[in-house]
Amino acid sequence: MNNIAFNVALPLLTAFLLPIISSGSKSATRFVGPFVLLAMLWFALAYFNVLQHPVAIALGGFLPPLGISFHLDNLSLLMAALIPLMMLLLWPYNNREGFREESLLLLLAGAASGLALSGDLFNIYVFYELLSVASFGLAAANRTAAAFAATFRYVIISGLGTVLALTGIALIYTQTGTLNLAHIGLLASQLNNPVGLSAFALIVIGIGVKAEIFPVNGWVPEVYSTASPRISALLAGLISKLAVLVIIRLLVVAYQGSQALTLLLVLGMLGIIWGELSAWHSKDLKRMFSFSSIGQLGMVLVAFSIPGDAGMAAGIAMMLHHLVVKPGMFLLTENWNGPIKKLKGAATSSPLAAFLFMLFALSMIGVPPLPGFWAKLLLVTGLVEANAPLYIIALVVLLTATVIEAHYLMSTALKIFSRGKKKHFKKLLQTPFNLTIATIFGAVLLAALFTLTPLGNKLNQIATESSDRSLYIKTTLSLKLPPQVKQQVSKVQ
Amino acid sequence: MTTLDTLLLFSLLTVLVSGLGVRLKMIGWVSAIMFAAQFVALLFMGGLGYGGSAIESSVSLTILNQPLSWRFDSLSWFFALITIGSALASSIFAAGIWAKKFHKHDGKPGLLQFAIALNVFTMLLLLASGDLLSLFVGWELVSWASLLLMVMAGGSSSQWGLRYIVYATAGAMAVLAGIGLIYHLTGSFSYADLANTAATFSSTNIVILSLLFIAGFGVKMGLLPFHLWQAGAYAEAPGPGSAFLGAISSRMGLYAMLVVVIQLIGLARLIAIEIPFSFLSLRDMLMWVAAFTIIFPTFTALRQNDARHLLAWHGIGQGGYMMMGILVLNPLGSAGGLLHVFNYASNQAALFLAISAVVYRTHTADLNRLGGLVTRMPLTFVVLLVGIIGLAGIPPMNGFVSKWLIYRSLIVEGMPLLFVATVIGTLGTILSVYKLIHNTFLGQLRLEHEHIREVPWSMLAPMLVLASVVFMTGFMPGLVLDWVVSAQAALGIPQLAHTLGGVESATGNLDMIWITLVLFGGFGVGALLFYSGNKAKRVHQLDNYAGGHFLTADDRYHYSNNFYAGLMHHIGSWYRGTFKWLESSIISIVSLLSGSTQRLFHSFHPALFLLIAATLSLYFFVG
Amino acid sequence: MNEILLTIIEVIMMPIVAFIVGLFMVLMMRKLAARLQRRIGPPLFQPLYDIIKLYGKQTQISHGLIHDIGIIMAVGGYVAAEALLPVPGMDGIAAKGGLVTLAYLTMVPSLGLALGVGQCANPNGSIGISRALTSMLAYDIPFIIVVFGVAYHFSSTNLVSIIATQQAGGISTWGISEMPVLALAGLFALHASLGKQPFEIYIAPAEIATGPMVEMGGKFLGGLFVMQSFQLYTASVLYVSLFLGGGENWITFLLKCFAVLAIPIIIAYLFPRYRTDDLVRLVWKWPVMLALIGVAFVMN
Repeated sequence: MNNIAFNVALPLLTAFLLPIISSGSKSATRFVGPFVLLAMLWFALAYFNVLQHPVAIALGGFLPPLGISFHLDNLSLLMAALIPLMMLLLWPYNNREGFREESLLLLLAGAASGLALSGDLFNIYVFYELLSVASFGLAAANRTAAAFAATFRYVIISGLGTVLALTGIALIYTQTGTLNLAHIGLLASQLNNPVGLSAFALIVIGIGVKAEIFPVNGWVPEVYSTASPRISALLAGLISKLAVLVIIRLLVVAYQGSQALTLLLVLGMLGIIWGELSAWHSKDLKRMFSFSSIGQLGMVLVAFSIPGDAGMAAGIAMMLHHLVVKPGMFLLTENWNGPIKKLKGAATSSPLAAFLFMLFALSMIGVPPLPGFWAKLLLVTGLVEANAPLYIIALVVLLTATVIEAHYLMSTALKIFSRGKKKHFKKLLQTPFNLTIATIFGAVLLAALFTLTPLGNKLNQIATESSDRSLYIKTTLSLKLPPQVKQQVSKVQ
Repeated sequence: MTTLDTLLLFSLLTVLVSGLGVRLKMIGWVSAIMFAAQFVALLFMGGLGYGGSAIESSVSLTILNQPLSWRFDSLSWFFALITIGSALASSIFAAGIWAKKFHKHDGKPGLLQFAIALNVFTMLLLLASGDLLSLFVGWELVSWASLLLMVMAGGSSSQWGLRYIVYATAGAMAVLAGIGLIYHLTGSFSYADLANTAATFSSTNIVILSLLFIAGFGVKMGLLPFHLWQAGAYAEAPGPGSAFLGAISSRMGLYAMLVVVIQLIGLARLIAIEIPFSFLSLRDMLMWVAAFTIIFPTFTALRQNDARHLLAWHGIGQGGYMMMGILVLNPLGSAGGLLHVFNYASNQAALFLAISAVVYRTHTADLNRLGGLVTRMPLTFVVLLVGIIGLAGIPPMNGFVSKWLIYRSLIVEGMPLLFVATVIGTLGTILSVYKLIHNTFLGQLRLEHEHIREVPWSMLAPMLVLASVVFMTGFMPGLVLDWVVSAQAALGIPQLAHTLGGVESATGNLDMIWITLVLFGGFGVGALLFYSGNKAKRVHQLDNYAGGHFLTADDRYHYSNNFYAGLMHHIGSWYRGTFKWLESSIISIVSLLSGSTQRLFHSFHPALFLLIAATLSLYFFVG
Repeated sequence: MNEILLTIIEVIMMPIVAFIVGLFMVLMMRKLAARLQRRIGPPLFQPLYDIIKLYGKQTQISHGLIHDIGIIMAVGGYVAAEALLPVPGMDGIAAKGGLVTLAYLTMVPSLGLALGVGQCANPNGSIGISRALTSMLAYDIPFIIVVFGVAYHFSSTNLVSIIATQQAGGISTWGISEMPVLALAGLFALHASLGKQPFEIYIAPAEIATGPMVEMGGKFLGGLFVMQSFQLYTASVLYVSLFLGGGENWITFLLKCFAVLAIPIIIAYLFPRYRTDDLVRLVWKWPVMLALIGVAFVMN
C-alpha cells in the first residue's frame, strides 16, 4: 500500500532527472512528464477506489511522532488526484524550448502531493518550501521584465511568510514537543493559550501567502497578470487550495476554539471585501480575475471558519468550484488581455470563448442551477446556522460582494457580447489549445451540474470525515506507537 | 406523467426547438405554434382556475440532502395563464412580417423567440416551485432569462440590462439571506414547515424576514426605491419583447411575495407589528411604499418623451396597485390586486404591441416626432385607445374593475390617504396616456407619414385579440374573478363573493354588464343626436388653420412638447431625482472604496502588509 | 323579468329628465349672469333653440371620424352617467354602480372630448385639453376625498342607500349637517369641476381661442352644449344626493339642485379667472385641506 509515496517521489525524481533525459532525447523530455503525471493520477485514483476509511502510513518504517507519516483520507487523496489532473490539463504540450518549465512543474507536482498527503508539520514545511521555489520559477517562466519584477515581489513576501510559518511551527513544538499533526491534536489543550494561538496566527499568515489570504496577497495581481495564463490558472486554481488545506488540517486537529475561527473569519471577510472591490475597479481582465480570485479565497476561508461539518462541506465545495472555474477563466485571457474596453464585440469572433466566459461568470456569481450556486448555498446556510453576530456580518459581506461581483463580471460580459469591430480578435484562432482546455473546464462544470445529487452525497461524506478530529488522531495513532505516546492517548481517552 | 409535466415538457421543448432553429426563417411561426400548444396544455389544467386541487409534478430532485419539488396550484395557474397568454401574443406578433424588418435592421428574430421561450419556461418553473429552494432556483433563472431579452437589442439597452442585473442580484441576495434565515429557524426549505412554524417566529425575525423578502422580490416589481432599472430595461427591448416583459415579467416578484409573505408567513403577523415612533404597523408602512410606487413612477411617466418609456414607467406604477390591493387583505382588496395582474397584463401587452406597430411603420417612438396617425393606422389606434382606457382604469374596460375593487377595499377599511394616493395615481395615468395617444395618433400628421399604411394582419391579430380581452373582461369581470377567487383560496385568504358582472355586496355593488350596456346605450343616444344634425363636411386632415391663418403641412404645429406645461410649472420642481442621486452616490462610494483598496495594493510593498497582519493577529491572541 | 323591464324604462327616462332639467339649469346660469351684469337675459326656451340651431347649421366641419366619435362619447357618457344618479322615484342602475363608478364614468365624456379635440390638429385645442386635464387632476383630488368621506360616513358607496339613510333621519342626518366641512370642500370641488370662472382657463377665449371648442362648430358645438347641461345636472344632483338628502319629491329635489348650482354660478360671474398652475395650487391647498379635515371628523 505504500506506493502512494511514489506520488511524491516519482515527480521529484523525474524533475531532477529531466535535464539529463533532455540531453539524451528531446522527444523523451516531452513525453516523460505527462507519463509521470498519469502514473500519479493512477496511484491516487487506485487508492481512492479502495479507501474505506482513513489510513495513516509511516514512511520508511519510522513511526510517528518522529517519523514521516502520510495521512490518507478522501480529502487528501482527492487533492492528490487533482494535482496530476490539473497539471495534465495545464501542461505546456506545445513547449519546444527545453525542459525548464516541465521540470519545475514536476517539482511542483511532487511538492504539492507531499503537502496534500503529509501528516506532520515539519514535512509540510519542507514541501511548502519546495512548492514555493517551483512556483517562483514558474511565475517568471515567460521571462519578461514585468514577470521578473512581479516574481521578485512574490519571492520577498513568500520568503517572509515562510519565516513566519516556521516560527509558528517552532512555537507549536515548544508547546507540545511534537510536530505530528495527530499527536498535536492529542495535545491540543496545551495549545489553547496565547502562545499556541500565536503559533496558529503565524502559520496562517505565513502559509496564507500562497492561499492568497488578505493582506499577504499583494503579489497576486502582479504575478497573475504577468505570468502566462496557464501558470496563473495553476497557481490560482490548485496551489492556493493546497495552502488552504494545510490551514484546515491544523484547524481541525488542534484549533477548534472560537478565537482561531474568528481570525480566519475576519481575514476571509477582509479578503472578500478587498478582492471584490479591487476587481470592480480593474480595467484589465487578468487583474480582474486575480482580484476576484482573492475574493473567492476569502469566501473559502469564511466557509472554513464555520464550525463543524457544515463549514467543512461549504469550504470544500467552494474550493473545488473555484478550482474548476478560475483556471478556465484565466485560460480565456490568453488573447483577451489589455483593457476591458477593447473587448467590445469579442463574442462575434469567438463565440465559444464568450459562451465559456458567461458560463464561468454565472457559476461564480452563483446562479442556480450551476454548481457555484450550490456551493454558495452551503456557505449561506452554514453562516446562518452558525448564528453568531460576526457570522451574520460575514453573510452580509458575502451577499454584498456577490452583487459587486455580478456587476463587474456582467459589465465585462455585456462588452464581450456587444456588437463591435470584428478585426481585433482574429488572433484568438492562433491558440486554440488554451481554448480547448478551457472548454474542458467548462464541460466539467456542466457535468457537475448534471451529477449534483451524487456529488453532493460524496461531498457530505468527505466533509464529515475530514472534520472529524478524533478520527484523524485515531487513524495516525493506530500505527504501532512508542509507549510514551500510547500513554498519552490513553490519558486523553 | 401529470398534466404539469406535460406543460413543462412543452415549454422546455419550445426552448430547445427555438434555440436549435434560431437561424431558421420559419422559427417564428414554429415557436408561436408551440406557445399555442403550451396554452392548450395549460387549459387542460383548467380545473385549477375553478378551485381544483394542486397538481404535483412527478419530477423531484434531492441535492445536498435538500429535496426540490414542483407543483401547480390555482395561483400558479392564474399567473401561468397570463404568462403564456402574453408570450403567445408577443410571439405571433413577432413571427410574421415584423421579423423580416427586424432581421433587416440587424436584429435576430429567432433569438427573440428563444428568449421569450426561455423566459416562459423559467417563469413556469418559478410558478411551479414547491419549496423555498426551487422557488429561489426559479427566481434566479427568471432574473437571468429576462436579462437576455433585455439586452438582445444591443446599444443602450445593454446599459439598462447591466443596471437591471445589479438590482436583480441584490434582490436575489436578499431573498437568499431570507431563505437562509428560514432554514435556520425551521430546519428545512419546505413550504409546509414554514407555514406551520411561522406563528412561533419572534417579531424581530418576522420583521427581518419580511423586509428581506419584500425588498428582494420588490426589486423585480420595481417597488420604490428599487425601481430605477425597470423602465429602461423593459422599454429598450425589441418591441414584442417589451410587450412580454412589460406584461408579466415583474409580476413574478408579486407571485413570489404572495407565496412567501402572504401564504406562508401570513399578513396577520405583519399587521401585529408596530413600527416604533409612528402610528404605523409594518403592513401600513408597506402600503405606503406601494402608494409611493403608484405615484412617483406614474408622474415620472408623465414626463417621458418616448412612448415605450412612458408605458414602462406606468408598469411600475401599476405594480403598486397590485401590491396595495393585496396588502389591504380584505376579499375586495386582494381580489382587486390579483385581478389587476391579469387586467394590467392585457392592457400593457396591447399597448406595447400597438406602439411597436407604430415603430414598425414610423421607426420612432419619440412622442415629439409623431402625430395624426389615426387616419393612417385606425385599427392600431383602436387597440391603443382600448389599452389606455384600461390602463387608466376608466369604465368599461377591465382596468376599471380591478381598480374599483381596490378603491372599495380602501374605503371599507377606512384608509383615506392611501385611497387618495391611488386616485392621484389614476389621474396621473389619465393625463399621461392622453398625452400618449394625442402625440402619436391625434393632432397634426407629419408629411413623412402621409403614405404609411396599417400594419399587416399578423401583427394586428394579436393586438385586436388582446384589445377584445381587455373589453370582454371589463364587460364580464366574473370570467376572470372565478380564477382570482380560486387563487385567493389557494393563498388561504378570504374569498370575494362575485357575479358574472362584478361584485355583489350589501354596501356597494358593481355590475359591469349593466354599466357597459347603459354606457353603449348612451353612446347610441349620442350618435343618434349627432347624426340627426345636419350632415357634416369632412375636411382633409392636413387642412388646418390656427390663429386665423391657414397652416401648410410643412409647418410643425403639433402641440406635443412639454404637454402639461401648466402642471409642470407647479410640480416640475418636485422631480428632484432623489432616487437617481441615491443610486449614483452608492456607485460613487463603491468606486471610491475600490479605488482606494486597489491603490493600497500598489502603494506599499506587500511585505509591509505581512508584518502588519502578523502583528495585529498576534495582538489579537496575546494582547 | 318585470324588474329588468322597469330598470330599462328608468334608464331611458332618467337621461331625458336630466336633459330637460339641465336645459333649465343652463337657462338659470345665463339668467343669473345677465342679472349680475344688469341685463335681462335670454327667454325660457333659448337653450333649446340654441341647440336646435347648432344642430341644424349649414356649415358643419368635421376633422375626421374621431372628431365625430369624440362628441358622441362626450354626450353618450353623460347620458349613461345619468342612469347612475337616483332621482325621486327612479333609481335606475344606481345600485349596480355606486359612487366610485359614477365618478369614473363621468371621465368618459372628458376623454371623448379630449379625443375629438385632438383629432382637430389645432394647437389651441390641444393646449386647452392639456389645461382641462390638468384642472381635472386638480379638482378630482378634493372631490375624491369628499367621496371617500361620505362613503365612509354612510359605510356604503351605494347612492340609493346613502340617500335613504339621510331621508330616514331627517335634516339632522343630512350630509351637510353631519359633515359641514366636507360639504364645503365638496362645493369647492364642484365649482372647479364645472369649468366656470375663475376656473375656465382651458377655454380662455382671449389666448387660445376657446381652447377645446376652437374647432367646434354646428352640431359639434351643439353636442358640447348638451354635454354642458348634463354636466350641470350631474354635478348638482350628485351634491344634493351626498349632502342634502337627495330628493324626497320632485319639488324639493329641483329646488335643492338649483340652489346648489346657483352658488358656484354667482361666484363664477363675480370673480376673474386663474392660471392653470394657480388653479392647481389653489385647489390642492384649500379644498384638499378642508376635505382632509372633513374626513378626519368623519372617521372619529
